[in-house]
Amino acid sequence: MDRECVSLLPRVCEVLAASGSSLPDDTSLEKLLDWFTGLTKAGTSLLESCPCLLEFISTVVHNTALDPSILSFTLRLTGFVAVTEVAFKVLQESSVLDLVFNLQHWQEAGLWEDPCIRIGWIQGLRTMMQHPKALSFFVQADFLQPLLQLQTDKSLFVASAANQMLAHVLLSCQSVSSVGSNDVDEEGEDVGRSGGSIADLEYSAVTVETNQDYAAVVTAISECLKKSLVPRENTQLHQSLQILKLLALLLAQTRPPLWEKLLQMVADSVDELLVAGYSQLILPLMDVILAAYSSCDVNRRAPDQRVSRLLSFMLNIRKPADLIQAAAAFLRRGLHDLVHTAQSARVLLLPLDIITGLNLLTTTADEQRFLMMEQLKNKTSCISLICVCLTNTPQMTLMAADCLPCPPVLIVTAVLSLLKLCSGDSSSPSSSSSGCREVSRNVIGSSKVQKCALDALTALSGSPGVEVKLAEVFTLLVQCLDNPDSDPTVLQKSFQALVQWMSVCSDLSSITDQHRQDLLQVVRKRSCDIRWEVRDSTVEFLGRLAGVRVIQTTAEEASDASVAVLGGCCFTTPLLRAALQDTESYVRASAISALAQTLAASWQQGAALTQEQTEIVNQLLEVLSWDTEGFARRAVVRYFIAWLSSMSSHSCVQSPASSSLLMPSVRSVLSRGSADLDWEVKVHTLELAELLLDEAFSGQRGYTKGNPTQTHPYAVIPNTLHTRTHNEEDVVGVLNSLVQWGVVSALLSGLVDCDRPVALRACRLLITLREVVCPLSLGALDATAAMATVARVTCELPGCGWAREIRKMLVMKAKDANAEGGVSGGEVVNCDDCGEAGQEAASVGGQTPCVSVCEVLRSLDLDERLDVLTRSSDHVHNSPLSLLQDILTASSARSQPDTQQEVIADCY
Amino acid sequence: IGKITGCVFPLQGAGQDVGRSCILVSIGGKNIMLDCGMHMGYNDDRRFPDFSYITQNGRLTDFLDCVIISHFHLDHCGALPYMSEMVGYDGPIYMTHPTKAICPILLEDFRKITVDKKGETNFFTSQMIKDCMKKVVPLNLHQTVQVDDELEIKAYYAGHVLGAAMVHIKVGSESVVYTVSVNKYAKSHISAWIDKCRPDILISESTYATTIRDSKRCRERDFLKKVHETIERGGKVLIPVFALGRAQELCILLETFWERMNLKAPIYFSTGLTEKANHYYKLFITWTNQKIRKTFVQRNMFEFKHIKAFDRSYADNPGPMVVFATPGMLHAGQSLQIFKKWAGNEKNMVIMPGYCVQGTIGHKILNGQRKLEMEGRATLDVKLQVEYMSFSAHADAKGIMQLIRMAEPRNMLLVHGEAVKMEFLKGKIEQEFSIDCYMPANGETATVTTNPSVPVDISLNLLKREMALGGPLPDPKKPRTMHGTLIMKENSLKLVSSEQALKELGLNEHQLRFTCRVQLQDPHSDPDTLHRIYTHLKSVLKGYTIQHLPDGTVMVESIVIKVSSSAEDTNAKVLLLSWSYQGGEYFFTALCIVKRLMYQ
Repeated sequence: MDRECVSLLPRVCEVLAASGSSLPDDTSLEKLLDWFTGLTKAGTSLLESCPCLLEFISTVVHNTALDPSILSFTLRLTGFVAVTEVAFKVLQESSVLDLVFNLQHWQEAGLWEDPCIRIGWIQGLRTMMQHPKALSFFVQADFLQPLLQLQTDKSLFVASAANQMLAHVLLSCQSVSSVGSNDVDEEGEDVGRSGGSIADLEYSAVTVETNQDYAAVVTAISECLKKSLVPRENTQLHQSLQILKLLALLLAQTRPPLWEKLLQMVADSVDELLVAGYSQLILPLMDVILAAYSSCDVNRRAPDQRVSRLLSFMLNIRKPADLIQAAAAFLRRGLHDLVHTAQSARVLLLPLDIITGLNLLTTTADEQRFLMMEQLKNKTSCISLICVCLTNTPQMTLMAADCLPCPPVLIVTAVLSLLKLCSGDSSSPSSSSSGCREVSRNVIGSSKVQKCALDALTALSGSPGVEVKLAEVFTLLVQCLDNPDSDPTVLQKSFQALVQWMSVCSDLSSITDQHRQDLLQVVRKRSCDIRWEVRDSTVEFLGRLAGVRVIQTTAEEASDASVAVLGGCCFTTPLLRAALQDTESYVRASAISALAQTLAASWQQGAALTQEQTEIVNQLLEVLSWDTEGFARRAVVRYFIAWLSSMSSHSCVQSPASSSLLMPSVRSVLSRGSADLDWEVKVHTLELAELLLDEAFSGQRGYTKGNPTQTHPYAVIPNTLHTRTHNEEDVVGVLNSLVQWGVVSALLSGLVDCDRPVALRACRLLITLREVVCPLSLGALDATAAMATVARVTCELPGCGWAREIRKMLVMKAKDANAEGGVSGGEVVNCDDCGEAGQEAASVGGQTPCVSVCEVLRSLDLDERLDVLTRSSDHVHNSPLSLLQDILTASSARSQPDTQQEVIADCY
Repeated sequence: IGKITGCVFPLQGAGQDVGRSCILVSIGGKNIMLDCGMHMGYNDDRRFPDFSYITQNGRLTDFLDCVIISHFHLDHCGALPYMSEMVGYDGPIYMTHPTKAICPILLEDFRKITVDKKGETNFFTSQMIKDCMKKVVPLNLHQTVQVDDELEIKAYYAGHVLGAAMVHIKVGSESVVYTVSVNKYAKSHISAWIDKCRPDILISESTYATTIRDSKRCRERDFLKKVHETIERGGKVLIPVFALGRAQELCILLETFWERMNLKAPIYFSTGLTEKANHYYKLFITWTNQKIRKTFVQRNMFEFKHIKAFDRSYADNPGPMVVFATPGMLHAGQSLQIFKKWAGNEKNMVIMPGYCVQGTIGHKILNGQRKLEMEGRATLDVKLQVEYMSFSAHADAKGIMQLIRMAEPRNMLLVHGEAVKMEFLKGKIEQEFSIDCYMPANGETATVTTNPSVPVDISLNLLKREMALGGPLPDPKKPRTMHGTLIMKENSLKLVSSEQALKELGLNEHQLRFTCRVQLQDPHSDPDTLHRIYTHLKSVLKGYTIQHLPDGTVMVESIVIKVSSSAEDTNAKVLLLSWSYQGGEYFFTALCIVKRLMYQ
């Protein structure tokens, strides 16, 4: 623990114990607890390292006039302090512990009403309960009753915390008493203890006497579960809900003797609840049953008879809505149980069967079908039931064939006909019966069902044997896209489904020319939709399509889906270029990314440069200079990154024509991008610079691609890495071209950027560059002739902006070096002696001073800078020390109200 | 009886704290989330609401019917991309047009600061913000939007910030109004403000519940004075701001002042935060306040003559200047860099126009810390002047009271405020309006019962029959009692005559008779006793049909009375009374008389 923090803590405690009101920042106390949590986890004993805490707790606990947030903090803090047995004893002996957790104390002070006191009480106890002494304390103080009452607290957070606390108590008792019973009864069953909830239990300390106490606690809790499970009236449903939650927690974690006991205790009540049929309790009940069921599964025991019976009961409930919920809950668990899985699948397919009129199920009980039909006639419940069914269809199609009542293809057909119904197309088979017609009317125009169905359809593309449906899916999705009533999200999902189906099926031979025509038309229409959301989805679609590899049987060769269904660039490029002028920046950015994806193929093939491409590049450079939005500018830099990297990875087919356009553009991108206002544009620009570095020095010894800090600072670096075997003329040439392209200026300007990610990235790249051209390990720059040649490569440092900062740094360094009597740093800036006046004169005189790149790289203290930058910039201000200081200054500011204005917690 | 529940559920930690809004309302079986705010003071999951409390198993989309965002402040919309793209919510999100335009700018700004500052990766991305905004359905003022067949919403002007709205949510006859802070301007043209919609609950923020705040104009004058003084003595003024909102308002203020005073010192705006924001302020000029609107007619407020874009080298220029720079809490980026440069000179000034969370330089200097630790063990002496000015337009007690007078809610629910101040306002509201006022803590639920009106169809036959009986013609303004049988069929309610009900439901009619035995002592023979009863009833019950039948029974309307005596004691007579369901009303009269007879 930090010594400075320890020295500040007593004063902070004083401040907290004396402050009548809460702190101005409501997060301070939480952060203080975070710090204590960290310390406790690291094994620090709080009482030993901060003895002032004991006094703090005992002062605060007596002063009930304090702000409830401070009292709550103290309750929770006490938990952390008492986490070790030794400290617990100290607290108990000083009788602090009894008072802190004494309910009556808080009730009499009228504070128990405040939810933050209740939650503090629970959390404090919960933290403390890591050893048998704490458990005994809990049992002897008879905290069980209040804890049971808190299960139904009006505060969601308190009730939930109490719930978990109760589970913790029961599991703790289990560990202790089962160890005890091991000694006594030699019951050897619990070898594979799942417990682990009490880390450092000292079992030897447990006496038989306390053992009986624990057994009493276990009995009391299970009695309470049994009693409170069944609501006596509707208003008690909340209580049942809480108890079910707890039960689910317990049945998942307890081991056989207790597990059995619990189950036996509550089985009748659960039965009763099932028969009562409260719809609100279906899901929690299912959770309980499934927890019990999976617990058998996990422990490789045969499923308990009672549990299996309950499960079967649940999957045969009469109320259709409840039945669907139960079946969906079962499938979500993904248990290996053929019988129940098949049954759940049948239940979930029934609504689809009814509404579409397709025979998905060969047999269903008439009664069930009738009930379901009646339920579906209500619009609201119809929509919600259908959505649950749809959500589960993709998972169903992946199940073993014998669980599924029909082939996956039929399910796809059902989803398709449901989508038709949604858009008001009644030509589907469901028109057969009047009941079906009535039901299907409920989904017409429901965008909720449409969205769900489209999500399902997208996921169903991966189901076995559904490829045959591609043409049908294609037709339907194009219809959805064409429908004037479709809302933007429906259109977006339709586009996504289309891309997904084409990428999964890849064989597009079933797509006819008519299909293509229809798609072309609808894409053209949607690309100039009045809503930007739709235009953006369309443009994104064009980009994604270009990235999908497909096989066209007619051509017998692979191409991208954009070429296959839209005819490629000649259709998409004009649309995308038009989108570059869009009024919405999101659309412009998407258009730029889509262009990059569309043109990627031609870049890779090294196709000759077209007039159009030149125009696009000019347009993009314009966007980079003038667009008001970061999104679009970021996309432009990414476009060039994509282009450059596709050129370098396919260097064998590099066409000189395209690089004649690429390299000058990259130069402009570097200079404009590194002067951008958006730091992310700058980071991307540095990525581009990195690509150029990679390309320039690839294969060069000493050049390590990527992050130089990855090597351990003390690692022995093999000498060979620094042995320069390459031709220094190469290095000179490469370095010169890097300077000319503007890579070096981009890196230097990044280094002094105010945004950390930019500076960090630039710093790493500069170190990389230094290591390859003039590593520090090689000694002075004029040590060898080769080095001297490299050192002569210069770059410009203009008189304003970033360059001025770099120059200042160089001057400082030179001064330091001179002061130390060294000479090596003397000639950094070769324009003059580099005083402040000299610099000004140089820039005023219009001369742009040049500096040696190597000198700059060696003089900037890059490693030291990297060290500072690597740590996130708020490590200082978010440290515990800073927090403690803030609490102190805030309190002193409040004690002098005249000098300070009131700072009100405001919106942001 | 219906029920509306409102659950305030921002974060874990069960107090009433200021900062972020997220309220769940259940009304008429619909679940609506009002606002989805975040807390800037945390760097972990605690900054977002914990949605697992809403639904653990099902998806949020299945549970929630819609999300409504009141305005663009991050404590009201900051968790939206997290909710929709990371937790997963696909349903509709509603906000006004200006909020939809401005929200992504602020979210993007905040994302950049977060990622910049912490290098956090577990945070929503640009793409997520965009995808989230694509799900947003924009609202027009006073336009009723049908979310589904049952749920409708309508937005009203709130005036807190550009695009802020109150929303009226209605399901059947139950309704809720949710509002953020209402500012002075909104009150000034209150007639066009909100209908007298008499909601079951009015949910309102109460951040400044007790403060009767000094006028905004006062604060503005103070601000200009401070800037002017600093400039006059040759100092530099730094104003750290977030991309949008206060920044624009302060710019307008300074621009106008510079023009009026003919000042020459440069004003800079950093990191291009103006373009898009200004664009939207122009686009939504009708939403902004009257003062801006009036000036706008004279000249374009957002084409500044004195305010220029900032370049980082300007910070070193000699002489006075004013710089607006992001971010607003001095915790990273440009504003922090400039602050470091200027902190050492006592002639300079930094003006914090908003709240700063713990863990930022802004927080430290506002608390008066004068020596700041920087990276690498360096310390920074803060010699420049530090000023705090809040320009936020939150509701004060007056605004809320006026709103209640306007909308006439049946109940009031206060959120987003400090307990003590809320208690004060609660007392005031209960006293003046005699309505219940709730102030649930975070994680608590307030439940209000309502009396929903249930529409019932009535059969024509029944109406005709009622008409045939005479009486006034049906009048919608005069409610009247009608008798009939209520049938619930196919989710509709219908009142019909009982005959028609039987016919429609295919049921047979049954007669129900009740019997009762009364013992009395009478020495006479059975027929004599019966006769005595008959004559007595005849004398007492005038106007009733009373018959002595030859089969040894007496009938009062449809009530049958028989006498028998027990075998052991002939004096002990047992009266058997029997009456049909319809005869019930006479029965008790008859019974009383018979009983009186027993004591004669």
